[in-house]
Amino acid sequence: MLRPTWRIRDLRVVLVGIVFIAAWVGIGYRLFQVQVVEAATFVADGEDQRIRVEDKAAKRGTIFDRDGIELAVSVDLPTVFADPALIDDPVGTAQLLAPLYHGDVAELTERLSQSESRFTYVVRHLEVEVADRIKTAVLDNKIEGIYFQNEPYRVYPAGDLAAQVLGFVQQDDQSGLEGLEAQFDHLLTGLPGKQVLERDPEGRPIPLGELLIEPAIPGYDLRTTIDREIQYAAQQAAADAVVDTNALAATIVVMVPGTGEILAMATAPTFDPNDRSTIDIAAVRNRAVTDVYEPGSTLKVITVAAALDAGIVVPSNSWNVPAAYEVEGKEDPYTDVGREEDRMMSVAEILMSSSNVGTIQIQERLGNELHHQYLDAFGLGQLTTDSIPGEVPGLLHPLEDWISATAGASTAIGYRVDVTALQMAAVFGTIANDGVWVEPHVVSELIHPDGSRDVTVPRQRPVLSERTAEQMQELLQGVVEQGTGRRASIEDFAVGGKTGTTEKFLYEEGFYSEDDRIASFIGIAPIDGPEIVVAVVLDSPHGEIEEGEAMVELQFGGVSAAPVFARVAEAALQALGVAPDAP
Amino acid sequence: MATRVTPITKARSFATTREPRSGRITVLLLLPVVVLVIIGLGALASASSVLAIREGYSDNLFYFKRQLLFAGLGLFCLILGARIPYRWYQRAALPIFVVGLIGLVATLVVGDVRGGAQRWIEVGPVTIQASEFAKFGVVSMLAMILTRKASYLTTFGHVFWPVAATLGSVGGLLMLQPDFGTTVLISASAFVILAASSAKVRHVFGLGIAALAAGGMLAVAAPYRLERVTSFLDSNPDVLGDGYHVHQSLVALGTGGWFGVGLGASRARWSFLPNAHSDFIFAIIGEETGLAGSFAVISLFLVVALVGVAIALRARDQFGRLMAVGLVSWLTFQALVNIGGVVKVLPITGVPLPFVSAGGSAMMANLFVVGVLINIARLSSVARKEQAGRTA
Repeated sequence: MLRPTWRIRDLRVVLVGIVFIAAWVGIGYRLFQVQVVEAATFVADGEDQRIRVEDKAAKRGTIFDRDGIELAVSVDLPTVFADPALIDDPVGTAQLLAPLYHGDVAELTERLSQSESRFTYVVRHLEVEVADRIKTAVLDNKIEGIYFQNEPYRVYPAGDLAAQVLGFVQQDDQSGLEGLEAQFDHLLTGLPGKQVLERDPEGRPIPLGELLIEPAIPGYDLRTTIDREIQYAAQQAAADAVVDTNALAATIVVMVPGTGEILAMATAPTFDPNDRSTIDIAAVRNRAVTDVYEPGSTLKVITVAAALDAGIVVPSNSWNVPAAYEVEGKEDPYTDVGREEDRMMSVAEILMSSSNVGTIQIQERLGNELHHQYLDAFGLGQLTTDSIPGEVPGLLHPLEDWISATAGASTAIGYRVDVTALQMAAVFGTIANDGVWVEPHVVSELIHPDGSRDVTVPRQRPVLSERTAEQMQELLQGVVEQGTGRRASIEDFAVGGKTGTTEKFLYEEGFYSEDDRIASFIGIAPIDGPEIVVAVVLDSPHGEIEEGEAMVELQFGGVSAAPVFARVAEAALQALGVAPDAP
Repeated sequence: MATRVTPITKARSFATTREPRSGRITVLLLLPVVVLVIIGLGALASASSVLAIREGYSDNLFYFKRQLLFAGLGLFCLILGARIPYRWYQRAALPIFVVGLIGLVATLVVGDVRGGAQRWIEVGPVTIQASEFAKFGVVSMLAMILTRKASYLTTFGHVFWPVAATLGSVGGLLMLQPDFGTTVLISASAFVILAASSAKVRHVFGLGIAALAAGGMLAVAAPYRLERVTSFLDSNPDVLGDGYHVHQSLVALGTGGWFGVGLGASRARWSFLPNAHSDFIFAIIGEETGLAGSFAVISLFLVVALVGVAIALRARDQFGRLMAVGLVSWLTFQALVNIGGVVKVLPITGVPLPFVSAGGSAMMANLFVVGVLINIARLSSVARKEQAGRTA
């Protein structure tokens, strides 16, 4: 056996080995530090630099008409965007892409040239075919830095139908700006989901990065009470009325008196929410709820109804109605249009001929307190509902402000009170609905993402006795058949209603206009078994039309607004399939 | 028998009693190396797949396939190294060294500049890193000098001048590229050869201190190196600036934790960690396989180091011993410098991890070195057998 010998020079080599062991043990210790002891900090650093929590937008709810047809719906449309830092040839890229979507080459070149920016839209919300053409061009020419993504886009398939009711969204972020889109924005939007994305330093997604997605909860759908056919007819009638009567604007509300459902709410001029570039901001207002006016003669209905309901008069009571009637504190006496002699008139005749003096006499018997009570019960000076965006309450002075002697008189004939067309529709709806006021509404159901529904239950309150309501219906029928509202009559149906003409109060200037009038007609059809209430309000109709031998002035509600009522009521009854009255 | 039983004497007694031992020691060396090459290929497939696509190669395994080819060429080099009798390097040390010097000069003249350094010569589709050849030149040159001058080594001048001339010429040329990491690596290996030789200990340490001083001066001489050193020393480094690389590397390692995020699931490779497939591949291994994997890798390097030391101890002559010590130091220091940089115990120097990092020249050179070590081991055992036969 060979005796191993211990040599000093071996020790040097062994020392080298020991140094190696020490070095690797040191590295091992350090690895333990980094990978275990301090790992949490580095894990956090890594997550910070690559994990992005992004909102995943929820699908915005759809707005339907009463039959479930889409009036406002969100679709995904392709959008093209670019990272200008990666675009080598902005000019060439713009020249290639811009013509594909009929865009401006120079403008796109400029945006693609801003290489310090990492994001710019090329073009948004394209038709799919156009996006495909751009995709092909990008692939064929191997252009770097152009990306595609679907973005939600709000579409209004029925164009301008009920545009002021629906409103519209801001397409950038799909937030509701006007109308129901704004009023119910929080419900339509839904809850955005959370999307955890891992991205590389250039912001590109890491494909195998775990995508923890907290799903977005889609928004509620809204089912409205709008009837497309009646809405369309009302819009046409409003548009024509503006032209035919040289008016600034026309507002029409069609309501079902028993339920408060708004079948149509039309405003002219209008707009197409799909084409935002052409929107006139004045046309966006839903005038039926945002614009107040002094109702004038249509409010005499409340004066008379209150007196009947309180048992102060009966329709056949008659008395002498003087040609001119002095009220303390008013310089000129009250008079009636077209009547210059005293006359014995019944309550019915007073309403039929829309006598100011007669109505003031009734109000004097009624007294301010009762009168105010009824006005309040009919919902004046209050919001009718909380479901119609932009509504204003109007103005009904509190009783303690009815100090001057003219307060009661003015209010009796529809001045000193500010109303909206919707409020007046509800007033006539009360008469049509056997004396029960029903909250008008445009949203019939909120449809939850899970399919369950919240059905709108309108508020109701009795205002008049059934008997008073019936008496009022008869009186209103008389107005159309023998009084100021003759132009409101339609074939096959008996209707009732009331005309109104007031001087337009210029709210901004603070005084009454000399030339402009608010002409209105609010009616019920058919008067025996009411199905609809139609309110027509024309802002500043002008001119005259021929009637028989004479010329009549369009500024009067009976002349300009009553025929519009007739047209809309006829169309609505037909659309609803209401059987004509027996001959 | 009162012989003190130390591990070495034990090893020696095994070596002499259980022949043939060269086969076992060859296996002990080859096995960790082969495993390291395989780990490297796997890590490379993951680390480079993103890079390959981002750089426009249609095949995401482009780098992997190329490295597979290098590993094949490396195997050829290994066999070649194992076949050439190592004593031939003693005779050919000077020509080899001179060829290495010429390679370094050529690199400076016609070399390709990448990332601010001129380290590669392009010959058609192949790029050659002459410094790998120069490393071998230095090791054989020093082993030769210190063997031949063994009897004069007590005199400082006999030690200093040859060593200084060898190191100075190669180091100077390397610093012109500049390649500070390789310079440090060669100097450290030279120091170990010197330490293992019969040179006086105080001479060895005198030279070592001088080399450290020179290295320190060079380290701070160039602004970019100074930045690396200061960012390394900075306890609160700018992780978006100078400290970005190493911070990303620590993030990758830390993310790996105990057992890693799984093969192919590295996040760092998605452009967070630069040079993920080359200088920082160890971080990818640590991220995908965790502490378990990184410990495995350093254990394999430790095995290579210890087997190398054992081969040196068993070498039948001084040249073989110094050669083995130098070569194993080269491999070990290169691995230490690389991993030390990745785990932030050393500054980043841009040295690849032997057997693992992407790169052809390094792979072939490193496997050739393994072949030479095997050759030293084999010829030693043959000699010992003969010796044993004579004494029996």
